[in-house]
Amino acid sequence: MVALPKEITVEESYLEGGGLWGWLTTTDHKRIGVLYGLTTLVFLLIGGIEALLMRIQLARPDNTFLSAHLYNEMFTMHGTTMIFLVVMPVGLGFFANFIVPLQIGARDVAFPRLNALSYWIFLFGALVLNAGWLANVAPNAGWFGYANLTESYYSPGLNIDFWTLGLLISGVGSVMAAVNLLATVINMRAPGMTFMRMPLFVWSVMVMFVLILVAFPPLTVGLIFLMMDRFFGTHFYRAVAGATPLLWQHLFWLFGHPEVYIMVLPAFGIMSEIVPTFSRKPLYGYPVMAYSTALIGFLSYGVWAHHMFAVGMGPVADSAFALTSMLIAIPTGIKIFSWIATMWGGDLKMKTPFLFALAFLIQFTMGGLSGVMHAQPPIDLQQTDSYFVVAHFHYVLFGGAAFALLGGLYYWWPKVTGRLLDERLGRWNFWTIVIGFNLTFFPMHIMGAEGMPRRVYRYPGDMGLNSLNMLSTIGAFLMAFSVLILLINIYKTRRRGAVAGPDPWDGRTLEWSIPSPPPAYNFKNIPLVRARDAFWREKYGYEQPPTAAPAPAAAQAVEHIHMPPPSLYPILIAAGITMTGIGFMLWPRIVVTGLVLTVFSAIAMAFEYPEAGAESEASIGPATGLDTRKVGIWCFIGSESLFFASLIATYMIYKGRDLVGPTAETILNVPLTTTTTFVLLMSSLTMVLAQDAYRRTDRTWGLRWLFVTIVLGLIFLGGQVYEFASFYHEGLTLQTNLFGETFYTMVGFHGAHVAIGVIVLAVLAGASLAGWFKVRNRDVAVEAAALYWHFVDIVWVVIFSVVYLMRAIAKA
Amino acid sequence: MSSASIRAAIHTLLAGVFAALLSGCDPRRFPGSTFAPRSDMAHWVEAVYFEVIGWDGLILILICVLVFLCLTRFSTRASEDQPKPPPPHPEYLGLEVAWTVGPALILLFIAVPSLRIVFRTQQSAPPTNALIINVTAHQWWWQFDYPSMGIHTANEVHIPVDRPVRFLLNSTDVIHSFWIPAMGGKRDVVPGHVNELTFTPQVTGEYIGECAEFCGLSHANMRFRVFVQSRVAFDDWRANQAGGPRLPTGGPARAGEQVYVTSACTTCHAIAGYSSGYIGPNLTHFASRTTFAGSTLRNTPQNLAAWLENPQALKPGAQMPALGLRGTELNDLVAYLESLK
Repeated sequence: MVALPKEITVEESYLEGGGLWGWLTTTDHKRIGVLYGLTTLVFLLIGGIEALLMRIQLARPDNTFLSAHLYNEMFTMHGTTMIFLVVMPVGLGFFANFIVPLQIGARDVAFPRLNALSYWIFLFGALVLNAGWLANVAPNAGWFGYANLTESYYSPGLNIDFWTLGLLISGVGSVMAAVNLLATVINMRAPGMTFMRMPLFVWSVMVMFVLILVAFPPLTVGLIFLMMDRFFGTHFYRAVAGATPLLWQHLFWLFGHPEVYIMVLPAFGIMSEIVPTFSRKPLYGYPVMAYSTALIGFLSYGVWAHHMFAVGMGPVADSAFALTSMLIAIPTGIKIFSWIATMWGGDLKMKTPFLFALAFLIQFTMGGLSGVMHAQPPIDLQQTDSYFVVAHFHYVLFGGAAFALLGGLYYWWPKVTGRLLDERLGRWNFWTIVIGFNLTFFPMHIMGAEGMPRRVYRYPGDMGLNSLNMLSTIGAFLMAFSVLILLINIYKTRRRGAVAGPDPWDGRTLEWSIPSPPPAYNFKNIPLVRARDAFWREKYGYEQPPTAAPAPAAAQAVEHIHMPPPSLYPILIAAGITMTGIGFMLWPRIVVTGLVLTVFSAIAMAFEYPEAGAESEASIGPATGLDTRKVGIWCFIGSESLFFASLIATYMIYKGRDLVGPTAETILNVPLTTTTTFVLLMSSLTMVLAQDAYRRTDRTWGLRWLFVTIVLGLIFLGGQVYEFASFYHEGLTLQTNLFGETFYTMVGFHGAHVAIGVIVLAVLAGASLAGWFKVRNRDVAVEAAALYWHFVDIVWVVIFSVVYLMRAIAKA
Repeated sequence: MSSASIRAAIHTLLAGVFAALLSGCDPRRFPGSTFAPRSDMAHWVEAVYFEVIGWDGLILILICVLVFLCLTRFSTRASEDQPKPPPPHPEYLGLEVAWTVGPALILLFIAVPSLRIVFRTQQSAPPTNALIINVTAHQWWWQFDYPSMGIHTANEVHIPVDRPVRFLLNSTDVIHSFWIPAMGGKRDVVPGHVNELTFTPQVTGEYIGECAEFCGLSHANMRFRVFVQSRVAFDDWRANQAGGPRLPTGGPARAGEQVYVTSACTTCHAIAGYSSGYIGPNLTHFASRTTFAGSTLRNTPQNLAAWLENPQALKPGAQMPALGLRGTELNDLVAYLESLK
């Protein structure tokens, strides 16, 4: 971080100055939050229009308003858009991004340029997802795109390719944002802001960040397999080759169920802010609320197969997943009761944010209760894939998540813009959307119970479904009208709304202690936190005298506040990644251009500011004493572990199911690979030596050990190239059998990681030669690279054990 | 509004909801209802269903009452809306234990009967007297084969009442799902993985079946019908189905027979003794079925003629090509097919 390039005045809002260029190159978390917010608003309108078109089609039986083809595209893109481009990014990119640094007393997120990069990648991924509309080849296999319908034989055309590529790209953006924000929460908390003093919103989104890190890798792996099947003719999901299309369902729901909580957790967090503020009482049972949030996150990773009760997993698996699914109801119930207990005995202020919170309580409870129904496998056999499920998840995601997000919008809007949204229009917005919502989705429970399957573009007129569907369509239009009211409210108050002032709601948390909209640097002085509800306690006194706390930081002059400078590289890297993906799909010629753009922009960004990393204090977390860069790498490694775990699990599941060709038993050269494994392990040792030398500022030896590490890494890669080549000669290609595809994919991705590691080390070596390490405290860069290098080596130890050792043991 | 009229309105509303709920179980108005159980399995499922609905209802009422009480007792008037320090906020351990243990107990009450049904409906050994029917799902129609009876039919399945039936589910293309709401549930049809669904139908009648898993363009047009028949009626049907096709007695039907054997129909369809195609439905007793085209069209000569002229117009993506038959040829073929009782 370096000094702000221009003079800043004390109260200047983050929204002012810079022009269009300033927004394109911004690294301010608040501006990036606003960008996310606007983008999701646009996609909300697109997804909403798709929903309206579907409802018109279904208003009458056997309607012909939309063709089957168009209808299938509509429901696929409605689901994909609302989940990946609206609810998740509005929670992650808008609310968490904007609010978390303000609530923990930080000036920005841990990695401001990475934050911008996450946004641009998300945006480009979203555009790729929707690009199919231009040629009427929009994705058309449902938001969960069940294999093997998505294989090229059943889905020729680019529809599924746009879907796969768009999700892969935007997924990269989500994981980056989660790494960044998790590192922010861990390391950027203001002095005294312990975990048990954090606002519960921060707790909730922190669990969400962890879930994104562990849930996205299985989806990424599933999508990579799908792409390989479509582009390279592998058979990851093809029953004819001994594989099973159910692999996709496991990978997808391993992502998909945590994804539900990824969408709902920010809503829980917003509830835990709005309810206490508008009840004018501290949150009831704070510690239990925090732990139940963590427990929900933990449990959500163990329930994925409750989406698969009908696939025939057998009674034992059905029962196990039924029980874990029911368990989630307990911490969720605790949250509902605690919110009610917070209201009990308070002074309830009936403002629009609170109205939405109340609606959330009832509607989300209804969604949760219908969820308890299909947690029972026998009931699920009737309800799954029927409109009952459509009703259920809309109660959870619309009546639940979206209502809380709307409440959060009314709640934080004055902080974002400095002006309050209009209360009267807010009430209109509230009542129309609540009525419209129930009118639309309650009848769907009945439709499902009366036998209407999901994803049908038409239904016969003699099933008793006609008036229910008409009712639902009317409700959908009422909701559309309500969204229009919201837009009018935003438009009207943009310039003429009541000025909010710093603290319009008598707030409890730190964001209300600074001006609205906040200045670019958020806090002139980093606050000192002495209790929960820190700002409230500052206003109304502490219940117990605050315990001994660190001395408050000396007030800083504004010109000494260091803020992240703008950067153009995030948008360039995102463009490079998107170009590579699109080239892969349509014009192979631009793949290389895209890759070059990505790699060179990334390297250029690393060395963009000559003073970067110069101040050790700036990157040390006030609450932990850890270096933020290392925390970030640890978060990333957590996510990578799940990526490799998914690849390794697939290898093990498909082991021994080959129908033809050479397999592990016949082809592996164990002695050779044992040697290259030894070489790779040695490279970890030399990496440690390099790290140690740089820590001692012995750059000569540091450089030497770095060089040795690079050479050892290259030897390992050489061994792998030799191995692949010899297997190829023995007739094992990527398409030969399941062993071929799982082996090449898993080992290949590991090799790619080693190759990236070698590039990073080479860049560092070059920087070292150029004297970059002369600036104090830059050896952390070597340490961060070393963490990654050791991780990749450990992954190899696992792969080596699973593939080579197991085979050697089997032979012995 | 007086309190009496409010009460009257609430009564009317409740009565309306109750009537609506009851009529929801009326299979004549709602032939696809999951609340009109007609098999042993469907009854078991419904029992679990009602238990959960009961508990869910209680919890929802509790939450609504609590929220309502909060609103009536603790709302602040706008005039008093001044910043002030928070009121006392005691916390009670007992309360927190109660709302943790209470729901856990309720879940236990639900789980025990529910999991018992899970095991009862998925027994590895079928009842010895079960009628085995092989179901093969295609994009977008259902093939039914009775291996013990030599019957091959499509989109309409006949089963005898009060005898266990075991459907073995196969797919030749993508994943489908075999759903008969009145019989208690669905089971996915997964390529490369034979699933099964076993139950004993208890009431004779015609029931709706549907594909419940999205399977491509015409997923909505992949329906079927289940005829639960008395022992006597089933035996009649079986005797007819097991025999060969009726021979055309003359006139257009006989001319249609010639159209059939000389056209491309034979590539994909089977009529015993004439052709043995297996891409499309077996037509040996086509006219004995009440519907065709994934059970989306009534089996009438008009519908059949429209279908033969342009299958894609009635079922988008249908694999059957338009054969370009016109005029007499078309009518003859329709007459022939409609003679295959």
